[in-house]
Amino acid sequence: MNASTTTSSVLRAGLLLAAAASTVCEPLDAQTCKPTVPGSELVKPGSLVMATNPTLPPMQFVDSSGELQGMRIILGKEIARRLCLQPEYVRIEFSAMIPGLRSGRWDVINTGLFWNPERARIMLLVPYESQAVSVSVPKGNPLKVSSAEDLAGRSVGVELGGFEEKALRTMNASLTDRGMRAITIRIFDNFATAYQALSAGQLDAVVAIDSTAEEYAKKGRFDRPLHGLYPAPVAFGMKSKALSEMIVKVLNEMLKDGSYAKLMNDYGLLANTEPFSIKAPPD
Amino acid sequence: MRAWDWSGFFGYLFNGYLLAGALTTLWLTIVAIVGGLLAGSVLTLLRLSGHRWLALVAQGYIWVFRGTPLLVQLIVIYTGLPQFGIRLSVIESAVLGLVLNEAAYLAEIIRSGILGVPTGQSKAARALGMSSSQVMLHIVLPQAVRIVIPALGNSINGLLKTTSLTSVISMEELLRRTQLLIQEKFLVLELFTVAGLYYLAMTSLWDVAQRRIERRFGRAYNVEIVGEAR
Repeated sequence: MNASTTTSSVLRAGLLLAAAASTVCEPLDAQTCKPTVPGSELVKPGSLVMATNPTLPPMQFVDSSGELQGMRIILGKEIARRLCLQPEYVRIEFSAMIPGLRSGRWDVINTGLFWNPERARIMLLVPYESQAVSVSVPKGNPLKVSSAEDLAGRSVGVELGGFEEKALRTMNASLTDRGMRAITIRIFDNFATAYQALSAGQLDAVVAIDSTAEEYAKKGRFDRPLHGLYPAPVAFGMKSKALSEMIVKVLNEMLKDGSYAKLMNDYGLLANTEPFSIKAPPD
Repeated sequence: MRAWDWSGFFGYLFNGYLLAGALTTLWLTIVAIVGGLLAGSVLTLLRLSGHRWLALVAQGYIWVFRGTPLLVQLIVIYTGLPQFGIRLSVIESAVLGLVLNEAAYLAEIIRSGILGVPTGQSKAARALGMSSSQVMLHIVLPQAVRIVIPALGNSINGLLKTTSLTSVISMEELLRRTQLLIQEKFLVLELFTVAGLYYLAMTSLWDVAQRRIERRFGRAYNVEIVGEAR
């Protein structure tokens, strides 16, 4: 009954699983393809190690056979392929990702990291996707939610530590600033538990990114009366400057040959049309 | 990439929001241990009652609650019970889950204490004309408490940290508040170290209390408690 032991053994098991399940993908051309990123810039020379938290269908999730799936997984694999590196995914909780990047456990955080100045100060961020948040409510929208104001005084769930939590807090502040009742913010480890609490009637709403809320709406148990709120750029997070520059180069190639736009369209996302770059903090 | 940030560390060490989280952890632990002891005593009495069915009920309870993860119990209480019309708040669910779980473990600890009192003690008391409830109250229980204390100490130490599992149903205790504050400046090691120190302070408090209780119940034995300076 010791929580810390349980967590660490779960993490260890997760790492083992990730190592066992990391998909073996053929590099672009085994004969002529030479990695352009020097091995010294990588955690494991010859491989691109990426951290992801597969709890966000359809962007990143685990299918019934235990394989990683989703738009960000595909994009990460494609970038690795074009860099002549073996893609490797580590499945891990979000809270471990930034310390793990700093201590050299993976090369890239590929988990739908929202760009913000605080994060841009501690790592190199390359935005490649745009996301906004939605409000999910039980099927039939019993409270007739049609604007953020309808959530005043209500109980709303969200996942810990992400852009969604920030968006919910911003929404709450905008209500209380206008003298309206505050939202009771309930923080969960992941969206699966938050949606479970919503379906049990413990919450009035859940705030999630558009694609996740849409996916849950598609499964038929929830409605999505509000979407497109607080749009923000989503980025890859890196420690190595050389690697970041190579990822920018690859993304720009994908922009040119149309494969980037196709992937975004496949998932109903707004594709970036400007060239990619490392987005530094404003100061 | 920064190294260790001392000013951030001290800033969080005296952070009121985090301190309030530590108090939540503390009262959750106290409520769970008190509730667990009461419910655990009832379970023990049922098990030792001599009635086959009562003993079986207690045994079945202990089997289920020790055999399933607390995380699962908490999620079932919080999101499963509403489907049967029982809607408990986050705090009620957290307290109930901890008490139910702790009762199962403590029942076994209490039983080990009672069984640890030599049978000669109760036989002698009966020979002096005491009733069986008098024997339990005046002879067996005081000696059982002495046996139970070290194991109970382990339980309380473990429980202090186990309460962090209640964050799965959105309870804001010490560890959850630590995780929430980490997003502010990403001082991961600094904040987890602060949380570790808070836990250490709380377990140390119990260590002091435990030594006092051990001394109180060990009087009759006149034995030195190992590691205790006299």
